[in-house]
Amino acid sequence: MEPSRFLRALRNLPRAIVAVALLIGLGGLTVVLQNEANYQSAQKTQAEGLANVLAASVTAAVDFGDFTAAQEAVKAYSVDRRIRWIGVYDRSGRVLASLARKGISAPARASAAGERPTGALRASSSIVQAGQHIGTVMIEIDREAWSRKLSRYVLLGGLLLLTALVVLVLGVTQAQLRLVNLELSARAEALAQANVLLEDQMEQRARAEEQLRQSQKMQALGQLTGGIAHDFNNLLTVIEGSADILTRPDIEENRRVRFASAIVQAAQNASALTSQLLAFARRQPLKPEWINVNELIRSMRDLLDRTLGERIEVETLLCAEDCPVEVDRAQLQSAILNIASNARDAMHARGRLTIATAQSAGESGSLVELSLTDTGPGMDAATQARVFEPFFTTKAAGRGTGLGLSQVYGFATQSGGDVQVDSDLGKGTTVTLRLPCSLAQRAAVETRAELANTLSSVRILVVDDNEQVGAFAEALLADQGHQVVRAHSAEAALDILRERDFDLVFSDVVMPGMGGLRLSETLARERPNLPMILATGYSEELVVSRNEGRPVVLKPYRLTTLIEAMAKVLPARPV
Amino acid sequence: MAARHLFLAALLALLPTMGAKAQTTDIAVKAAFLPRFARYVEWPQRALPSGNAPFLLCLVGGDPFGRMVDAAAQEQSISGRAILVRRLDSAAAAAGCHVAFIQGSRTQPAGQLLADLAQRPVLTVTDAVNGEQRGMIHFSVVNGRVRFFIDDAAARRHGLTISSRLLALAIGVRH
Repeated sequence: MEPSRFLRALRNLPRAIVAVALLIGLGGLTVVLQNEANYQSAQKTQAEGLANVLAASVTAAVDFGDFTAAQEAVKAYSVDRRIRWIGVYDRSGRVLASLARKGISAPARASAAGERPTGALRASSSIVQAGQHIGTVMIEIDREAWSRKLSRYVLLGGLLLLTALVVLVLGVTQAQLRLVNLELSARAEALAQANVLLEDQMEQRARAEEQLRQSQKMQALGQLTGGIAHDFNNLLTVIEGSADILTRPDIEENRRVRFASAIVQAAQNASALTSQLLAFARRQPLKPEWINVNELIRSMRDLLDRTLGERIEVETLLCAEDCPVEVDRAQLQSAILNIASNARDAMHARGRLTIATAQSAGESGSLVELSLTDTGPGMDAATQARVFEPFFTTKAAGRGTGLGLSQVYGFATQSGGDVQVDSDLGKGTTVTLRLPCSLAQRAAVETRAELANTLSSVRILVVDDNEQVGAFAEALLADQGHQVVRAHSAEAALDILRERDFDLVFSDVVMPGMGGLRLSETLARERPNLPMILATGYSEELVVSRNEGRPVVLKPYRLTTLIEAMAKVLPARPV
Repeated sequence: MAARHLFLAALLALLPTMGAKAQTTDIAVKAAFLPRFARYVEWPQRALPSGNAPFLLCLVGGDPFGRMVDAAAQEQSISGRAILVRRLDSAAAAAGCHVAFIQGSRTQPAGQLLADLAQRPVLTVTDAVNGEQRGMIHFSVVNGRVRFFIDDAAARRHGLTISSRLLALAIGVRH
């Protein structure tokens, strides 16, 4: 124990301990004193006893003046080393016989005994016989030597000291413990405070992080909406401009066709874009179709040319034999467009994009490998690693959503394949899309497509709350030669159906009031023989699969899609 | 102290150079002893003096001590009782004594006197100076000192008990 600590502990000794130690000390002292007193009186008694015994034995000798006999009796006591002197005195006090230690002498007269030295005990006994005082015996003995006294008390003293020490040590230990406890509790308090502080800081940090996340999200959202708005603006420009030109009366046929096609293409692009967005928001299920990749690419040639611009050369290296893949057509188109526009941006609108297809063997069957290679600057390893990350983009703000490649990735994996990027700085980039070959037939699809073209006139009830979309559908169907009536709500549709018969109901899903799905259920109950087609821009509702087996066309839909759906639900009629 | 002791002893020792003086001293000692003997003797109950009556120390047949014995007897007391000295002629008269010093004469020999006191609880004291006849206590000077013989058997026969303290002082004891 360090001395300073020890002293501190001593000062802090609990009063009880000190009291106990003191009590022990006091008790010990009392015992010693008591013992001493007892011993003293015992010694006195002993001395007196000696004197008495001697007195009895010298009675006759003193009485008859036989100092020889008296001396003999006295001499016997020379054995006792504690005896300083013995004196036997007659009636008149004269010494008759005596004994004394070397260097001392017994008093000659009993009255002349003198001051008793402090280290000695004195006792006297009257010699009496038959009531007659004959003489006196006086004896002086040593008190107990200090050394002997000490040796007697050594054991007791030792025990007491030990006890006191133990008590003291206990006290010190307790005091120390108390000190340590105080320290500990102080530290615990400090710790608790620090903890509170820490929690506070953690809270603040969490809040800051949340705020950061929010701002990041908003930023990303801003980027996204900006990018989308920009893309849409482009397309709308084309549509508006082209439509505007088409309103002129005196327009050449091929020009008219060209501008009309431009509108169609732009609309298709827009549709691809929305489908991209919806896919990203996971609101569109994949609608797998059997697709011939080479054929698709060939059909996309125009679109690609337009997307890439005049100064980029598009080269196609399509393999001779390829197998069909079962994927969502729009998604595949969108994927190809995404990759192509990335290539365009990387090449700064000048260079060459090579599109190649090949068939290869994979682990679980054949694959179609679709690769797009550009002559851009390429990417470094760091960028390459992050390229499929959502919202990751190397383009300036507003120029890209950062969603394109992440959607490609999503699409590829959802379709059972994968996508890979190979790039070297200064050497360009190759994006390879690998899709598994489909094993199913495509015959059925074609049959239906054929049938669709031979449908005769049917009575169709179009249900849509949106004026433009409804009118468009009406026009579309009427153009095909069908009789169309429009209802603006499901309730109105039901009213109309009560009055008139129809062959087909074509309804939007999302409508205020009773929606398309409930209408579908109601009709399934009330008019089970009445076919129905549902149209929707979202697939959310359909995930619940309440479409009662009704075919669903996704907006925006093409005429052929609609005709196919109609062919599916309408009973075959003789052509 | 021993030195003083020696001085006294020397003084006393010097006295025997005058024989008469020495004898006077012996008689003084014997006279001093006589009353003292009674302290160390137990008489049977019937023989004890009643009430505050004194012990009787009788000199029978002769008185070699004179006033000395009276003086000595006056100084002593036994259990609070005084000691009176009587001088008697016959043993018969000595029947009521407690202690009797027997000195024989031609007319009454010591032996006769002693025999007359037989059966009586009387402590008989004789002196070697006076003859061979011994009483219960018999004085004798040995090595210049007055000593005495004790016949404890005789004492007991007469109903007397002599304290062992006295017996220890005797030069010889007959048990």
